[in-house]
Amino acid sequence: MKKTINIPLGSQHISLLEPVRFRFECENEKIVAVDSDVGFVHRGIERACTTKFKFDGVGYVVARVCGLCAITHSLSYTAGIEKLLDAEITLKAKYLRVLLLELDRIHSHMLCLSHTCENAGFEAMFMRIMGDRELIMEIQELLTGNRVQFDFISIGGVNRDLSPEVAKIILERLKIVREKTLGYMDEFKNNWSLSLKFKGIGTLSLEEAYRFNAIGPLARASGLKIDVRNEIDYLPFSEIGFVMQTQSGGDINSRNIVRLNEIINSIEMCENVINGLPEGEIFTKIKGKPKGEVVVRFEAPRGELMYYIKGNGKPILERVRIKTPTFACIPAFSHIFVGQNYADAPAILASFDPCLSCTAK
Amino acid sequence: MQKIKVSLENIRAKIEDFYDEREWHFITLNGVALSEEKTEVQWIFSKYESLDDVVIYYAEIEQNEVVPSIVDMIPSAIISQRELVDMFGIEVEGSEKGLYLDKDSLQMPLSGCSL
Amino acid sequence: MFASFVKAFKNLFKEPQTIDYPATPIVKDEGYRGLIEYGQEECIYCLKCEKACPSGAILFVPVENPPKNEKNKKGLKYHYNPHLCIYCTECVRACPKPDEALWQSNKKPPIGIKDDKVNEEWFELERLKSKD
Repeated sequence: MKKTINIPLGSQHISLLEPVRFRFECENEKIVAVDSDVGFVHRGIERACTTKFKFDGVGYVVARVCGLCAITHSLSYTAGIEKLLDAEITLKAKYLRVLLLELDRIHSHMLCLSHTCENAGFEAMFMRIMGDRELIMEIQELLTGNRVQFDFISIGGVNRDLSPEVAKIILERLKIVREKTLGYMDEFKNNWSLSLKFKGIGTLSLEEAYRFNAIGPLARASGLKIDVRNEIDYLPFSEIGFVMQTQSGGDINSRNIVRLNEIINSIEMCENVINGLPEGEIFTKIKGKPKGEVVVRFEAPRGELMYYIKGNGKPILERVRIKTPTFACIPAFSHIFVGQNYADAPAILASFDPCLSCTAK
Repeated sequence: MQKIKVSLENIRAKIEDFYDEREWHFITLNGVALSEEKTEVQWIFSKYESLDDVVIYYAEIEQNEVVPSIVDMIPSAIISQRELVDMFGIEVEGSEKGLYLDKDSLQMPLSGCSL
Repeated sequence: MFASFVKAFKNLFKEPQTIDYPATPIVKDEGYRGLIEYGQEECIYCLKCEKACPSGAILFVPVENPPKNEKNKKGLKYHYNPHLCIYCTECVRACPKPDEALWQSNKKPPIGIKDDKVNEEWFELERLKSKD
């Protein structure tokens, strides 16, 4: 007689934000094996980039792979093409690109934290964090014109400038967001329904993080020091004040603390950019067609994003390969679930912060 | 960026010598369609805590050869191998079809063969 | 716990956070990404905007009564589709005369409903263009 039963955490579930399906094999409430299915929203973007669009329009196509990390995709593609064409952009354009990258990181981490609170049963905190996230969305609308899909970066620089009135409004709002985040840190460390409930659940030790090549806040919460902002030099991160945040617990509580610390660090970096913005042009005209191959990596809010671009001198590219952070972490997810209680599965899944439109491109 | 050419017979031995868990980070597998019969398969690694150090091992294969699997040394390669099978139609040991594409959709969209 | 009682008491005397009634119209921002507008007399018919558009929302098609302009040698006319446009302003940056011949305005784009069949004429224009 069989000892295990199969329970699906289906593609439609009341606690899931994303369309992913897991099938758990459970023996008396403990999970024994996991089978995962991604690919519900596959749209074939890699093939569209090499047949239908020319190389200067692909930056707008690739930004629509995901809504939460749209700026990182278009920035990586544009940085790769600028490397192939040997082009230099001005320091002011680099600073404006860093500003929008860090604003994007702040609102994506706030979304993940509020979803974690909802899974713990603390609905009031979920509503409060979402309400404070609106301050960041309004800043983004003043800067670029849109709340989610920015269309801000093109080959040679950025599209819009930062006027002094908008800079003043941004600095005032960031001060409010920083006070509120310090308040959240107090709640996440001392409130029993957010800190005690999450300790010791869904752990990933340092050895396992090395073995499964974990990336992003998942790896930094276990003590692994990996952050792509330390390993590239196309944008001046260390001048602006970037500091890597790590914890050593490896459970859900440590991941929340890492995300909160990253929000505080990003707010500092945005303020340094606005106060120290250099003079100059924001756009330089670049000519030529890309030829050769290049590998570019950037840090999205969920981990490391890699682009491989190959061109042969014609307006249409030969190969565009996108490696997204959630895709590379799926083996680590399947390993963490084994041995946990079935009732904890939605909370563990929300702490990974999966983004399925990036995964199934 | 450093590109090193290998063949299908000695790829497992080379990766076993080269790969150290604490020093090197495995990024992904990649395939490029060179012509109607040939495909290039790439294994991409990067070094922890050093500036822009990327190493690529590549091999050129025909459409009917079988690519050996490296899952026992690097467990996180299983998902990239399943994507290679779906997108290019080449066989990899121990990886099955069906990650992205269904049975009634366009098959092998990124390979060089015309459909 | 006492802090929450004090806060609840103070909230009794604050003003409500809901919006005013009767409704006040929303003030539109100056930097709003609106429709692209065209000045026919200044255009030099270089066709750079058509090549730069990522989604193909601008088409120059040969017609029988073309607009009168000394630079219009092939008898072309400008057509623009606000439903295909993504309002990225690549065309304005590619134009040699950006504020006189092509610029971005503040107006709201139209709504597209399926029953109105808004793209039928556009498909005709694309067929005419591909025969050329």
